[in-house]
Order: sequence, then C-alpha cells, then structure tokens
Amino acid sequence: MQSLNRIAFLSVFTAASISLFVIESLFPAPIPGIRLGLANIFIILALIFFGLKEALLIGILKSIIGSLILARLLTPTFIFSISGTMASTLIMWLIISSRLPFSLLGISIVGAETHIMIQLILATSIFLPGVSFFYISPIYILSSIITGSVTGILTYLFYSKTKRRYKFCVD
Amino acid sequence: MRSESRFRPLKIGDILAIVFFLFFVFFLPKNKGEKVIISVDKTNDFVYPLNQDREIIINGKLGEAKVVIRDGRVRILNSPCPLKICEKKGWISKKGDFIICVPNRVIIRIEGKKYDAVTE
Repeated sequence: MQSLNRIAFLSVFTAASISLFVIESLFPAPIPGIRLGLANIFIILALIFFGLKEALLIGILKSIIGSLILARLLTPTFIFSISGTMASTLIMWLIISSRLPFSLLGISIVGAETHIMIQLILATSIFLPGVSFFYISPIYILSSIITGSVTGILTYLFYSKTKRRYKFCVD
Repeated sequence: MRSESRFRPLKIGDILAIVFFLFFVFFLPKNKGEKVIISVDKTNDFVYPLNQDREIIINGKLGEAKVVIRDGRVRILNSPCPLKICEKKGWISKKGDFIICVPNRVIIRIEGKKYDAVTE
C-alpha cells in the first residue's frame, strides 16, 4: 500500500510541475529567461518527502515532457532548462540533507540562483561566446532572488498543507 | 518525518543567502574595457585602445561611418544606414558592451585585457 501511495504522490507531483512549467512558459516574459519557476515547488516537496533520486526524476521528466508539449525538445532552451533543473535540484538536496539553518525560502532562493547561474554560464560559454557573463548577470540574479522567494513562500504554504495528508498516507 | 518548524520561513541561512547574492550583484568585478574591436562584415580587423581619443572612418557595406573614441567611450557619430539605430545607441564604455549596425554590417565591441573568467 505504501508504494502505491508513493507512486500516486510522485505522479501527481510530476503532473503538477509539468503543467505549471507549460502554463508559465506561455506567458510572455519581460526579459527573456525570467520565469517564476513554480514547478520548483514540487521538486522541493519531492526532495523533502522522498529524496534526491525522485526529485531529479521529476525535474528531468518536467523538462523533457514540458519541452515536448511546447515543441522545443533538444533546442538550446531545453538544454538550459534540463541542466539548470538538475543543478538546482542537487544543490537544494545538499542544503536539505546537510541540515544547515535554511528554511524553505532560502532553499528556494538558492535553487533559483543555481538554476539561472548554470543557464547563464552555459549561455555565455557555449551559445553566445561574445557576451560577458558579468555584464548580463546582475539583473538575472536580482530577479531570481524575487522569484525564488515567491516560490519559497508558496512552497512553505503547500508543504504545511500537504504534510499531514502525506503522513496519513505513508506512515 | 521531519518537524514542520524546520522549514518555517526566515532562518539565519536565508538572510545570509540573500545578502550573499546581493553582495555578488553589487560588488561584481567592475569591467573596465580596454580595447575597441570594430569588425566589418564579420571579420575582426580593427582594434583600437579605448584610452586614446580619435576619430575613425569605417568603410561599411553601405558607405562610410564615423566612429568616435573619446574619454574611454565609443560611439558611432554618422552612419549611412536608414534607421540610425547604431547612432541612437550612444556611448558605450563597459567590457562586453556593443553597438551593432546591421545594414552597414558594422559591429563595435569592447573587450578587456583578458577574456571572462567563465569563457576562459
């Protein structure tokens, strides 16, 4: 019964993160590359409830299926998305498992920063070699502090609501 | 199951993370440009130091464009292109900054002494 609940939880998380990712990508961004990152809510929750492997799985599935829906599989945007997601999941897992005094707000902000940093480093080193990393990064770092804290607060609200139900299902 | 209070917002680590990233934004290495690289039709052919004032005439695809280097800044003064976007870009002075004139096939970039830490 436990593993069934687990599968159910994981698939709901994956579906939710994919749909948030797709809906979010449909809105025009003020500056290319800036999104709220709502799909990150479910990756953080998966890290807390399950572990690194499941969270990475959700992230990778989110990138692949989301890009498939948006018809951008294997384009540079997809490569940015999947590498950023994997890196930020790893860093957030390190923070959660090391029990540093971070709350969900901080975890989400660090995740958002890692996500955008990896993308900027990839963009400036491979796809746009002429553009200086330090020239374009400040606006992205500032905006991801804001988007990261919005996502973090939403994650906390979601976490405090889901936790009891999850406990009831699995424990 | 971990306790709920562990993830309640605003712990010391959050503030440290935000301060760290803000610090990173405001104290990034200031990119003073050193060289002006003017390329016509995708070929890098003119390199000028940014600290010497001069006026340069470039032969672009449409005609002659006048570029001015003054006080460590560069701008296109006159260009034969129709929309004059390159002239409206005004002065540039930082490393990584650029003026592009598409009709005239002129690209003016500013580079520092070395390449970025990232691209290096």
